Amino acid sequence: MEKLFVYFLQIWHGVGFSLTLLAGGFFVGITLGTILAITRYTRFRFITNQVITLVRSTPLILQVSIIYFAIPGALGVHLNVLTAGIIAFGINSSAYVSEILRAGIESLPRGQFEAAQALGIPKYYTWRDIILPQVVSNVLPALVNEIIALLKETSIISVIGGTDIMRRAQITAAENFEYFTPLCIAGFCYYVLVVLIEFIGKQIAKRTCHYHAKN
Amino acid sequence: MLKIRDICKSFNGVKILDRVNLQVETGGILGLAGPSGCGKSTLLRCIQKLEIPESGSIEYDGKAGFMFQDFQLFPHMTVMQNLLYVPNLKSKQRKKQEHQAIAVLKNIGIESKKHDYPVTLSGGQKQRVALARTLMTSPDILLCDEPTSGLDVATTDDVVQLLKSVNRVDLNSFGNFQKQTVTMVIASHDLDFLTKISDRIVLLKNGKIVADIKPSNFDDQIQLLKGYYL
Repeated sequence: MEKLFVYFLQIWHGVGFSLTLLAGGFFVGITLGTILAITRYTRFRFITNQVITLVRSTPLILQVSIIYFAIPGALGVHLNVLTAGIIAFGINSSAYVSEILRAGIESLPRGQFEAAQALGIPKYYTWRDIILPQVVSNVLPALVNEIIALLKETSIISVIGGTDIMRRAQITAAENFEYFTPLCIAGFCYYVLVVLIEFIGKQIAKRTCHYHAKN
Repeated sequence: MLKIRDICKSFNGVKILDRVNLQVETGGILGLAGPSGCGKSTLLRCIQKLEIPESGSIEYDGKAGFMFQDFQLFPHMTVMQNLLYVPNLKSKQRKKQEHQAIAVLKNIGIESKKHDYPVTLSGGQKQRVALARTLMTSPDILLCDEPTSGLDVATTDDVVQLLKSVNRVDLNSFGNFQKQTVTMVIASHDLDFLTKISDRIVLLKNGKIVADIKPSNFDDQIQLLKGYYL
């Protein structure tokens, strides 16, 4: 039992790193993703589509490696593991977030854009106050799904030496020549975090979807 | 005055408006009648600049306000927020605008619904909120696209009274608006409704004006107008 507790403490230290990576990655992802989703409705749509296709067609492990090893080498700058991870996960997530938002935008009646135009609302305010609040409310479950997927993908950070939950579990296992318990603890940590994210998602949905007919 | 000259508009090669010419006096109520697909809504959308005509010109002083067939209220905002959003964007006189919005809601009889979301309102109430939201922008021309579509007879009569009051009654009673008269163009396939409200009815068919009737001739020519629907 004491061994289990020691293992748990060692692996739990990785939770903070994983969550920081998740929060940073999702912040970058939702910001870039929103910009990409909106630019799809401008004359830059071709470039936006190419960027999204490029990001979605390459593996995340390759993107992380390029941002941590290749780009700093080419530009002569140094990025720490966390920064490189946030950038890589953020860019990767932005492509998926933009697709989720696009689906949400296309599900809105065209009349909402026209009503805003007829009322003389400038485009910036139309997106900020009329379209995006409705879109986010409609696609919240899909966004929560993206956050959960991103949390699980953060385990890839171990390829560039990040000590997240998974890496901590591997270190603990290697040090003690025992794999079963540390890996089960890592799985439990991810499970608890996902349940927590789902709970927060549901609470936000309750607050933001109050105007839907079903409520 | 609203002046429409030689307006043409096509969609996918199909001519929807074909050299439409029209003039509406300031303060007038023009009814646009015609069967589905005759170009009524397209003409309104061209006036509001939601569609760009291929040729011709549309001129009017001031600004136009548009009431959509399906209202297009902003569902994530309460009635009050729907009314105040545009005025708040354009001016910082929040208190004055709030009083104005309450006065408008009082006049159209839905003050008690000011904190409700559109999803909780009936069709008639949504119609009123849509009208109130448009009035809050102080339009010189009010464009109404099928304002009675989906409404029952009693609510349709309410809409007639409401639109007439907006057009004829001093708008000061609608909350200290400066403008006194609003020109209206109302598109509807319901001839009886248009007869009750309009000063003049124009009938569109296949994108062209085929009849232009003044009130003195309404009774005589209403049967003729109905004939054009066939």
